[in-house]
Amino acid sequence: MDWINFKKPQRYLGNEHNVIKKSYFPGQVRICLCFPDLYELGMSNVGMKIIYGQLNSFEGIYCERVFMPDEDLYLYLTEKKKKLFSLETKTPLCDFEILGFNFGYELNFTNFLAMLSSGGVELRALERKDTIVLGGGIANPEGLAEFVDVFFLGEFEVQAEKFAEIIKRYKDKEERLRALAEIDGFYIPKFYDVYIKGNRFVFEKKYKHAKLPIRKVFVKDLDNSFFPVNWLTPHTAIVHDRAQIEIARGCPNECSFCQARCLYFPYRERGVERVLDLAKGVYKSSGYENLSLLSLSASNYSNIEKLVEEITAYFKDKCVGVSLPSLRIEDVVGRLYKSLRRIKKVSATFAVEAATETLRERINKKIDLNKLFEAARVLKSLNSRHIKLYFMFGLPYEEDSDLLAIGDFLRTLKAESRLKINLSINAFIPKPFSSFEDVDMESAQKLLKKKELILSNIPRDRDVKLSISNIRKSILEAVTSYADRSFSKVIYRAFCLGARFDSYDERFNYSVWREAFKQSGTSMEDYLQRKKDNFSFSHIEMK
Amino acid sequence: MDNERFLLKVKLQKHQQMKFFSQLDLVRVLGRALRRTDLPIYFTKGFNPHVKLSFGDALKLGQEGIVDITFYFTAKIPVDEFKDKLIPQLPRGLSIVEIGEK
Repeated sequence: MDWINFKKPQRYLGNEHNVIKKSYFPGQVRICLCFPDLYELGMSNVGMKIIYGQLNSFEGIYCERVFMPDEDLYLYLTEKKKKLFSLETKTPLCDFEILGFNFGYELNFTNFLAMLSSGGVELRALERKDTIVLGGGIANPEGLAEFVDVFFLGEFEVQAEKFAEIIKRYKDKEERLRALAEIDGFYIPKFYDVYIKGNRFVFEKKYKHAKLPIRKVFVKDLDNSFFPVNWLTPHTAIVHDRAQIEIARGCPNECSFCQARCLYFPYRERGVERVLDLAKGVYKSSGYENLSLLSLSASNYSNIEKLVEEITAYFKDKCVGVSLPSLRIEDVVGRLYKSLRRIKKVSATFAVEAATETLRERINKKIDLNKLFEAARVLKSLNSRHIKLYFMFGLPYEEDSDLLAIGDFLRTLKAESRLKINLSINAFIPKPFSSFEDVDMESAQKLLKKKELILSNIPRDRDVKLSISNIRKSILEAVTSYADRSFSKVIYRAFCLGARFDSYDERFNYSVWREAFKQSGTSMEDYLQRKKDNFSFSHIEMK
Repeated sequence: MDNERFLLKVKLQKHQQMKFFSQLDLVRVLGRALRRTDLPIYFTKGFNPHVKLSFGDALKLGQEGIVDITFYFTAKIPVDEFKDKLIPQLPRGLSIVEIGEK
């Protein structure tokens, strides 16, 4: 390969610090972890690092990585009839026994098919004789049922060892699938008949040892779960360019729109001592100049003051930046103010979601906006220049006045603080397993109107940087999130028509998707309205 | 200034895969490599302190060749110690060709 002809060739070299190289021996099981988005995003994903490190810790297994290639390399490989390859040993994907996809996001589905196809792997599960495609990282897997052999539901660390044992013991695909079907967390779509009877989805086992309902699995004790201390450290910039130490998993808050709360339920914490040990270990092995203490809501961490104090004390002389995302506003002005002064980079990101108290109450988002004005002043004194705010529109119970209030709020905030504001306004997309899973997505027409209304009242100002949802894209996300098995054919059509990188506004092509729905004899609206008394994923339990 | 600086001028050969890494990438790679050692790193002053390094002319992306880099420490470091500690931390494709003290 003449890498100089490609954008950011660093992505494809596989020479990162702490990359794992093993030599091949007969009988070794070869796995490739696949991420259906660009390297910069995939390399920022902690889950992938955990699984990479853990699977490679088992003897007899070699686990490599591949990310979605950017358009230039993808088209080159297609045109030259070359196959997409793993980073570590440059092996074509079709030569691996197991391909493990971390989907992460519903709008990555066409990239997933593009990677299989580019890697010389048959797209449909039933067409593949030996290769097993394993998929995880999404709530409702039904839309991909035709392409994926095994889904994993929950946190893979828990079953990694059993998984390794099974794939070492059995060499035949069918035997492997049957053995996996008996373990919690593994879901093999072809072992279930799913059909519609009356107004309900009916689920029936076709293999007697398969589980029904299918339960997700989760780590019980974060202190003793695997953590990739030999932190895979890229030589080039990635999206979240810092080592991430997970301090808690799950979230004790109960915002009605939130899916993460259910996917990562229950809320668990890692002890301060363990977090410190991991942080020291990761720093020693990576030399990363920035550390981030990761959780869905750092404010809920019971010992946050002690943790921040000890970690900043340890890293002070080493000039390591410690960041604490996901803080609540009350804490910035309240009990954490002192500790925050020790952190150089206070990331000031607040998910306000709704601009009025009434609406926030109805979506169960508990924040006090008056505190935010205070927080903004505090941030200014902490040398932060930016504040990032998230809002939603299209929420249930929403009135026009709630939408106009976003602009009013911004004007007050600007007058009070003079911070630069990065504003992200997103259409509400109902999600499986959230408290709002029953709520209908608003129609494109209504959402477009609401978007106009919000925009009409947003201050036009150099200090307010705005990004707002592409409505068609959001609706597609809603459709894919609730998909049933019939949706596989639409994804397949969209892929054949050239859809890739659907999660990128500038690459998302609505007309391609419309055509894909049409060729499949259906439409986005059909899927949105296809309401039943239960869901296509009602055989899965998340709690 | 609260501490004295001790300099090492190093000629670094950029070859094989490392030729695809830009000068900015190199700042990252060397900063992190140094941080993994226990060498007495000299950090820049200011609000966001980072590992102090200075670079000579940059090579074009994809070009192999020599880059001049000055490393800064808060204590005098014998050349051998510097080599012993830093070399194991360098990615393949970066090698030290010459070190001059100053």
